[in-house]
Amino acid sequence: MPRFPSDDWFQSVREVYNSDSSLHSGGGGACNTIAGFKVGSECYVIVFEGLECADIHSADEAEMNATDFIIEMSEDLWKEMVANVQEHGKADLDHTLNSIDLQQEESIAHSPADDQYRQDLFYRYNQNFQDFFDASARVETSFD
Amino acid sequence: MADKEPSGAVVPAAVAGVEAAGAEEAVQAVPEPSYEWMGLSNQWGVRVKPDEHGLRLSALNVGIYGEVPEYWDDQTRRPRGALPRPGTPPLPYNLRAKHQLWADCAADLYEEGIQRRWIPATDVPWSTLEPLPDAIERSVCQVCTELMQYANTEIEIITYWQDQMSYGYYEVKQFLATATFDCARHIEALRKRALANGGGLGLESKGIVNRMILESRGGWTESVVYLYLLRGTFAMQLLRHMLTSAHNDAESYIWGHMIQDHARHLTYGYDHLKYAVTHHDGAAAVMRTLLSIGEAMMGSELNDAVLRSAMAIIQGGGVDAGRTVGMQSYLHLVGGFVRDYLALCDWLGVPRADRLHASLKQYLEY
Repeated sequence: MPRFPSDDWFQSVREVYNSDSSLHSGGGGACNTIAGFKVGSECYVIVFEGLECADIHSADEAEMNATDFIIEMSEDLWKEMVANVQEHGKADLDHTLNSIDLQQEESIAHSPADDQYRQDLFYRYNQNFQDFFDASARVETSFD
Repeated sequence: MADKEPSGAVVPAAVAGVEAAGAEEAVQAVPEPSYEWMGLSNQWGVRVKPDEHGLRLSALNVGIYGEVPEYWDDQTRRPRGALPRPGTPPLPYNLRAKHQLWADCAADLYEEGIQRRWIPATDVPWSTLEPLPDAIERSVCQVCTELMQYANTEIEIITYWQDQMSYGYYEVKQFLATATFDCARHIEALRKRALANGGGLGLESKGIVNRMILESRGGWTESVVYLYLLRGTFAMQLLRHMLTSAHNDAESYIWGHMIQDHARHLTYGYDHLKYAVTHHDGAAAVMRTLLSIGEAMMGSELNDAVLRSAMAIIQGGGVDAGRTVGMQSYLHLVGGFVRDYLALCDWLGVPRADRLHASLKQYLEY
């Protein structure tokens, strides 16, 4: 059973996401971006190309700094979000990326290059990212 | 009159041969074609190749076709890069300086807008709508009504200025065409939501800010200040909170997709304002003046009891909770708007924190 967060876990989610076209309605079309997830001290880079998640892998700081934007939360908050998805089949209204972002003092998304255009991708592609994490409902997950 | 070749190609009779001329009057009226125009091109032999994302608009900016001038001294409909035709009468394209409309991201946003379209009729899972308590249904319908007016205001002001934007900056015209279509889609989706669940449209908005936007005639940049920096930033907060309060998958779909469309519009708007401030002397000072006026109008509109109470009921989950946690949540929404607005002003190089109108400043405590 893959542990969250880990390469195995993100790869499993990627496989579910790519194999189910019903999860690709978020954009109604192509999504092209490279983003980072910062889960506590662990970093991952995700690559969306067209209707697919082309790649996701653990990354170092240098690679993270080259992304369009980074979603950064405490490990506890990430785990709460993923556990909520597991419990409900998809994020409930208090645990979507949008609602979590609204609940924080500072936005959970930022552009490492302080580029407004690239940071705005968090909102322009928001549903694609939500669909990706909602796909994790079908990945049996360990948090230990 | 034409002769038909065995291959099926239709060829004017006059081409068949000079001998035929004079045989029939109708044939005499057909002039012999001239192909002199074929040699007339500013740059020929261009072969742009698609990349992994296809053949995108921004990829076409090669050679002279990629020369985006600071000033486009041409009042005709001539596509950028085409040869001018002497004697073409001018048209009222009054926005001919790059700083008046440009944003570097316009071409990419156009592609994004074209690719990420959605169809309210069939993409929204309408069957998930379920009866809601009367007060909540009325509140959702009221928000839909006012957001429809936001969208039709955006269409009207874009099309007013689009008419005047010169073709030297066609990427912007192209993108704004998608923005108006996005708005049309929003009106469609909102109207359908309001009329699909036992409710109906609510009360027309007072329209203070709508009027301010529509009467901003000093230039497109002025309209962008009001349309996107002020109203648009607020509208984004509204949409995001509507998504967190969605009652079913149909609403989640509508709000989630409206957010993505609206975010594209804001990206253009913010990027254009940044361009104007950094490329045109005096633009920042003008923007400060516009914002001091616009903030007062926004503050006045935010005092309107209709939208705020509708949002409080939605966010609270009912009338009673709307008076307490719902209103608190709405005030937090407005506070979020003001904080976003101030951060954007800082990023634009037009800081407003020290000059923020009192009617907006009050929300910073929430």
